[in-house]
Amino acid sequence: MWNGFAELLKKDLKLMISSKFFLLAFGSLILYSCYINFVYVKLDQEIYPVYLYDPQNTKPAVSEYITRVESREALETACADQYSVGIDLSAEQPELYLLSSGLETTDHYRMLWGEAVLDEKVDGQAEVVGCNNKEMKNRREITAEFLFFELSAVGFLGLASMLFKEKQMGVIRVHGILPVHRSMFVFSKLILLLVSDLLFTALLTGINLGVPDAVRVLPSVLLQAGILSLIMALVGFLCAVRLPDFKQFSLFYLVLAVFITTPVFLAGQTGIEWDWIIYHPMYHLFTAMKSAYFSIPAVDAPYYLLCLGAIILLFLLACQTLNREMAKEG
Amino acid sequence: MIDVEDLTFSYGKDKQALHGLTFSVNDGEIFGFLGPNGSGKSTTQKILTGIIKGHNGIVRLFEKSILELRTQAFFQKIGVLFEFPYLYTNLSALDNLHYFASFYPKEQRRDAEELLDELEFKKDFLKKPVSSYSKGMRQRVSMARALISNPRLLFLDEPTSGLDPAGAVLFRKIIEKERKKGTTVFLTTHNMLDADLLCDRVAFLSNGKIVALDTPENLKEKNSDHRIVIDYLYQGGRSRKTIEAHEIKAGIPFAYDEIISIHSQEPTLEDMFIQYTGRGLT
Repeated sequence: MWNGFAELLKKDLKLMISSKFFLLAFGSLILYSCYINFVYVKLDQEIYPVYLYDPQNTKPAVSEYITRVESREALETACADQYSVGIDLSAEQPELYLLSSGLETTDHYRMLWGEAVLDEKVDGQAEVVGCNNKEMKNRREITAEFLFFELSAVGFLGLASMLFKEKQMGVIRVHGILPVHRSMFVFSKLILLLVSDLLFTALLTGINLGVPDAVRVLPSVLLQAGILSLIMALVGFLCAVRLPDFKQFSLFYLVLAVFITTPVFLAGQTGIEWDWIIYHPMYHLFTAMKSAYFSIPAVDAPYYLLCLGAIILLFLLACQTLNREMAKEG
Repeated sequence: MIDVEDLTFSYGKDKQALHGLTFSVNDGEIFGFLGPNGSGKSTTQKILTGIIKGHNGIVRLFEKSILELRTQAFFQKIGVLFEFPYLYTNLSALDNLHYFASFYPKEQRRDAEELLDELEFKKDFLKKPVSSYSKGMRQRVSMARALISNPRLLFLDEPTSGLDPAGAVLFRKIIEKERKKGTTVFLTTHNMLDADLLCDRVAFLSNGKIVALDTPENLKEKNSDHRIVIDYLYQGGRSRKTIEAHEIKAGIPFAYDEIISIHSQEPTLEDMFIQYTGRGLT
C-alpha cells in the first residue's frame, strides 16, 4: 500500500511542477515580501487633525495637536474632509463638530480623540498589548493577512487546476481499478499541498518577521496554516471534481472570493461591524491566524474540535465524490 | 471465473439499468457482451470491476463474491481497457506505463518497451508526450496499460475503436495470444466482426436484459434458413438461383454452362442481434 502511495506522491509532485504551482507560490512569496518590506511597513495613518473655535479664549493654552480657527465657518470648512475633528467653544458647553466618515466605530474614535486632546489626556491611557513596535505590529498584521489570502484563495485554485487536468484526461477513472486504496488518491494531494503550504508559511513568516520573531510564533502559525490549508484543499478538491468544467469552477471561485473571503477581510480589517460575522467559519480561521501571529491564545478546544470535524467530513465527502467520478461514463 | 446470477442495478428509483442478468464466463474464455448504447454493458462491466456498488443478485469472480473482492489482491488480478484512452497526456508512453505498472508487484509486471513493441508502437514516440499521439497510438498505449500487470482476467471495452484495419487485426491477434496464455477476456463491444472472430460465446444485451447467449456459430446456425445462392452462366446469359442446402447433395439441380459463385445464406451476427433485440447496434 505504501509503495502505491509513494508512486501517487511522485506523480502528484510532477503534476504540481508541470502546472507551475511552485512557481506561482514563489512569485506570491516575492510579491508579498516586497510589498511588506518596501510599502506596508512605511504606511502610517495620519493623526486626526483637531480644530478649535474659541472666540472667548476660554482655553488660552491648548495641546500641540490643536489648530485654532477664527470662525465657525472656518471650523466647518476645515472639518469638511470627514476626517478632522472640530471643537466649538463659543457656547457654555464644548460642542464637537465632525462630519461622519460613514463608519460608526471610526467616528467614535475621532470623538474620543477630540475630547482627549481638548482635556490634554493623550498620554498613558492605552492598554499595552504585546511588546511590538509599530513596524513589527504592521509586519505581523499584514503577513497574517497575506498568508490567509494565499492559503484560502491561491492554494485552493492551484490544487483545483491540477485536479481539473487529471479529470479532463480521464485518468481519475483508471485509478478506480488500480490496486491502491482510492482514498490515497485524495490523501497524496492533501499531503503535498499541506507540505507546500507549510513551507510557504515558514518562508513568508521568516522573511517578513525576521528569524527570531518568526521562530517564536511559527508553531502556532503553522498549526493554523495547516488547518486552513487542509480545509481549503478539500473544498478545492470537491469543487474541481463536482463541477463539470473550469468555467463553472471560475465562477464559483469568484463567488468564494467575493462573498466568503471579502466580508472576513472587511470585518477583520476595517471598522465595519457585522454581528453575523461570528457565524462565518472563515472569520474564525482568520482571527485565529492573526492571533497566532501576535502570540495571543485566542482559540480554544471547541475551535480545534470543529476544525477537526470539518476536515474529516470534507475528506469523506471528497472520497465519495471521487468514487462517483470514477464511475462516470466517458 | 465469473458467475452472475439474477443481477439487477438501478441508478435512482426509476432508472433500472439491469434486469436480472444471469451468465457465467469460464476460465480462459473470451466472452463477448454485445449491446447498443444504453443497454447496460458498461454498468455490468463497472459492477464486475468493482467500480460501482449497490447491485442486487449474486456476482462472483475468482470464486468469491464481488462484495469481498474489492481489495488490492483483486485489482492486481484484473486488467481493464476503457472505451477511451485515459492517459497522462503530459507524460510519454513509457512514463505512463511505468507509473501505472508501479502499483503492481514487480514479479507480476511486464516490460513496458517489449509490450509496446508487440503492439507495434512507433519507437520514435516512446519518450514523446502522449498529447502528440494519434488516436490509434493512444489506444495502443492504453492496451499496453491494461496488459502490463499480466492480468488473469481482462476487461476490454471496444478494444479496436480508433484503430485502422491493420491495427484492429493486430489487436485481435494480441487478444488471441492472451487467451492462449490462459487469460479470461470479458469483451464489451459494438463491433460484430470482433465478436464473431474472437469470442467463444456472446451474450446479446438489450434494455438491461440478456436476450440470447451462445457461441456465434450456434446463434447463426440456429437461425439460418439453410439456403444457397448460385450465380451462373447459361446459354449466353447470367442468372442467379436460390436453392435449399440439401438440394445440392446430388449436384447442381439445374442446367448451367458455368458456375460463377456459390454462397451460403447464413445470417451474420448483426442480423442475429437485430432479430433478437429488434434494433441495430448503434
